[in-house]
Amino acid sequence: MDFIGQFPLFYFPEYGSAWIMGVTGTIHILASHTSVGAAMLFAFLAHKAYKENRTDLYPYMKKYGMFLLIFSYVMGSITGPGIWYTATAASPVGISALIHNFVWVWATEWVFFVYEVIGVFALVYFMGKIDTKTHLKLTYTFALASVGTLALIIGIISFMMWPGTDAYYATGSASDAFFGINTFPHMFLRIGFMIMMSGVIGLVIASAIKKENQSLSAELTVKMGYIAMFGGFITLFFFMWYMGTLPDNAHAVFNITKDEVILNRIILAIVFSLYFLVAILKPRFINPTLASVMIGVILIFGLWPGEKLRESMRKPYVAGQYIYSNQIVSRDVPGKGIKSELPVIAQKGLLQVNPFVPENLKTITDSNRLEAGELLTKIACSNCHSLENNGKFRPLAARLQGVDKDGIIGILNAMGAGAFPYMPTLQLPQDEYDAIAEYLVSKQY
Amino acid sequence: MDASILLALRDPAGVPFYPVVFQALYVLTWALHAAFVLLALGSMGLSLYGTMKQKTDSHWKILTPHLIQTGKISVSILIVLGVAPLLFTQVIYDPNWYVANTLSGMWVFIFIYTLIVGYSMYYWYYYANKSSQGGGKLIGLISFGILVFCGILMHNFAVTSIMPNDWMDMYAPNGVVDTSGWTFNIDILRLIFMVSLSIPVVGIFLQNYARFLSTRENFSQEFISHASSLGTKLSVVGLLLSAATFVLWMIAIGYLLHPLSLATVVGVVVLLFLSAKNTNSYITTGVLVIVALLISALRELIRYDIMGQLGYSIYDYPVNLEIPTLLMFLSTFLVMGGVGVAYLLTMAWKVGKTQGIFDGSKDIWVNKLGTYTISIMVAWMVIFFGWGMTFLFKNIL
Repeated sequence: MDFIGQFPLFYFPEYGSAWIMGVTGTIHILASHTSVGAAMLFAFLAHKAYKENRTDLYPYMKKYGMFLLIFSYVMGSITGPGIWYTATAASPVGISALIHNFVWVWATEWVFFVYEVIGVFALVYFMGKIDTKTHLKLTYTFALASVGTLALIIGIISFMMWPGTDAYYATGSASDAFFGINTFPHMFLRIGFMIMMSGVIGLVIASAIKKENQSLSAELTVKMGYIAMFGGFITLFFFMWYMGTLPDNAHAVFNITKDEVILNRIILAIVFSLYFLVAILKPRFINPTLASVMIGVILIFGLWPGEKLRESMRKPYVAGQYIYSNQIVSRDVPGKGIKSELPVIAQKGLLQVNPFVPENLKTITDSNRLEAGELLTKIACSNCHSLENNGKFRPLAARLQGVDKDGIIGILNAMGAGAFPYMPTLQLPQDEYDAIAEYLVSKQY
Repeated sequence: MDASILLALRDPAGVPFYPVVFQALYVLTWALHAAFVLLALGSMGLSLYGTMKQKTDSHWKILTPHLIQTGKISVSILIVLGVAPLLFTQVIYDPNWYVANTLSGMWVFIFIYTLIVGYSMYYWYYYANKSSQGGGKLIGLISFGILVFCGILMHNFAVTSIMPNDWMDMYAPNGVVDTSGWTFNIDILRLIFMVSLSIPVVGIFLQNYARFLSTRENFSQEFISHASSLGTKLSVVGLLLSAATFVLWMIAIGYLLHPLSLATVVGVVVLLFLSAKNTNSYITTGVLVIVALLISALRELIRYDIMGQLGYSIYDYPVNLEIPTLLMFLSTFLVMGGVGVAYLLTMAWKVGKTQGIFDGSKDIWVNKLGTYTISIMVAWMVIFFGWGMTFLFKNIL
């Protein structure tokens, strides 16, 4: 093996490129979960309106639909491929692994997307232009298609955490990779959150129609409160189940911040339970400003820490527990004929096997040691750690403050020996450790 | 760029089916995506002109909001259709796509967020124009500019991906590694040609629009003729412009006499003839689809040749067959996609043709297709869960 499959490195200063993906992912989760949840709620409302001949529900649905269209589909349809794009820039080998395992699953999801995107325009713009029975049928198909997109993506993102069993490594089969032990708990956790989000968004619209129709506004606010409460319960229930299906390395990371995470979740559960109770018991207290602020609370205090946690718990892997965050294949996958790249890196060094290292840095000398060290650090560490003294996310500065060169080399050797379950077991030749240590010391953290 | 490097950049998992199938799917889906890119660009641009005439001209008063709406829906559709070629190109040309995206990482990031801003502003433009005639000009213009900028960024990714010989110089000029992700490349002739196609595309769209509405009594014959003749003018002028830029681009890269290039020229001439006569715009649209496929195939040929000269052939990509998920895709695409999209489009067609409320429950086709779509989707869910549980139990029990 002369070269390994490493690509040019993109590094987003102070934050690290992987965080760009995290930001995009968080926005996407809010939008996509809202849209699937809203699709289910839409079907429920259309069913009620049709069966009970409640014509007063249609204007509400139209308003809800426009919000859904603008908020969820503008944001969701762009940030969806957006995650893909930013992941491509940040973790090309990781995304490549997902693509090459699941291309047909993704292609299937695309069929559902096409249906959804055409369907959402039909659903909203044909309201009042087609009979209610046909519209009802349309909402059923739209809800099913939306849930279909979740069903298809969930196995892929679950695989990112881990395949769940060893079967995939032996067979290389996408079915073994997709249906791991955490796929279904993960799916229902998200369905719960989607139902909750449909209620949360529904509260914005329900409270906004107060002036036009007070009694309808109150009725729908109560309903949305119940729906959100139910969704929240499902989310919590499956969250606990989901946590039980995660691998050991995920728990190792989780244990570091366990108390903080649990406290955050308890506070959120209490705050939102109270909010939903107010919606149920005192619907007039809910107004669009409060309802919008609560969406912001979910985004900032619920989703963002949740995404950060999920990303952290995958460490040191980015996909399938065979690709490290620093884009190195870390184990054999006989079912796919994949060989670990760790032995050749340990033998020849990263600089020799990375095809995008320029010739003048292939061999470490006294004159290029610092430059080579910087490049090695970026390749090996920057996917998870920011390198600058004022780095924002998992900064090395905070971890290596006051550590001298020998201390750093000691840490690197320990990592190479597998001392930290959440760090890559990356063994490098001593001259590369030395160059990394020299560069990090020069940063004077 | 050395062949050994390009081959090392391929995914070690191999491709899950024969590469030629991904290549064909790429060509097909890129053409679909491009069709809506061009329609979005053309209708948005023309709507901006419409906002200036909307207050005084009764035809533009009707046409402008329709163009804005067309642009709005087209952007959504182009995004969703764009996912497919993005997927397929990563399967067989992963070295190219990933190198381009990492070299232009900062632009990738900017692309996503400018697209969100540009498309959100487009909705603002839509609502501003809806509330007052001629309204939202400035917002529309800014939105249009941002969306065009996004198109240029996308062009950058595509062009950078087919410059393997220059990748190392882009990443480490003079041996100094640059991880900033600011690489930007443009092929001006290729870009102008692609953008110029938006003029004939919106022209042919207008011919279809006029033809479609001609059966509706609430649109005057005068308006229909106006839309139709505007469509003809735009398509003729646009096709001449596109043909000229196409020839220049082909000369510049030495492909003018290639059979695929000549076939494209013939296709454009046929298109010119059909759109100038405008006897049946639906047939013209069929030819337009063929020309779009030819252009898509030509783009692929250029990439294939560039990579072939360096010793990289997609046909040599190791194949690791993955049949179950392929069957899922094929059955979903053909059965659910076919029936479902037919359902939506049949309904849309009939709603558009109907004055007042369309009663789909009495329409045999809409009714049947709706019932079939629900049944297929329910069956799909049952199979999905059954399949999942079977594998899960097999692996954990």
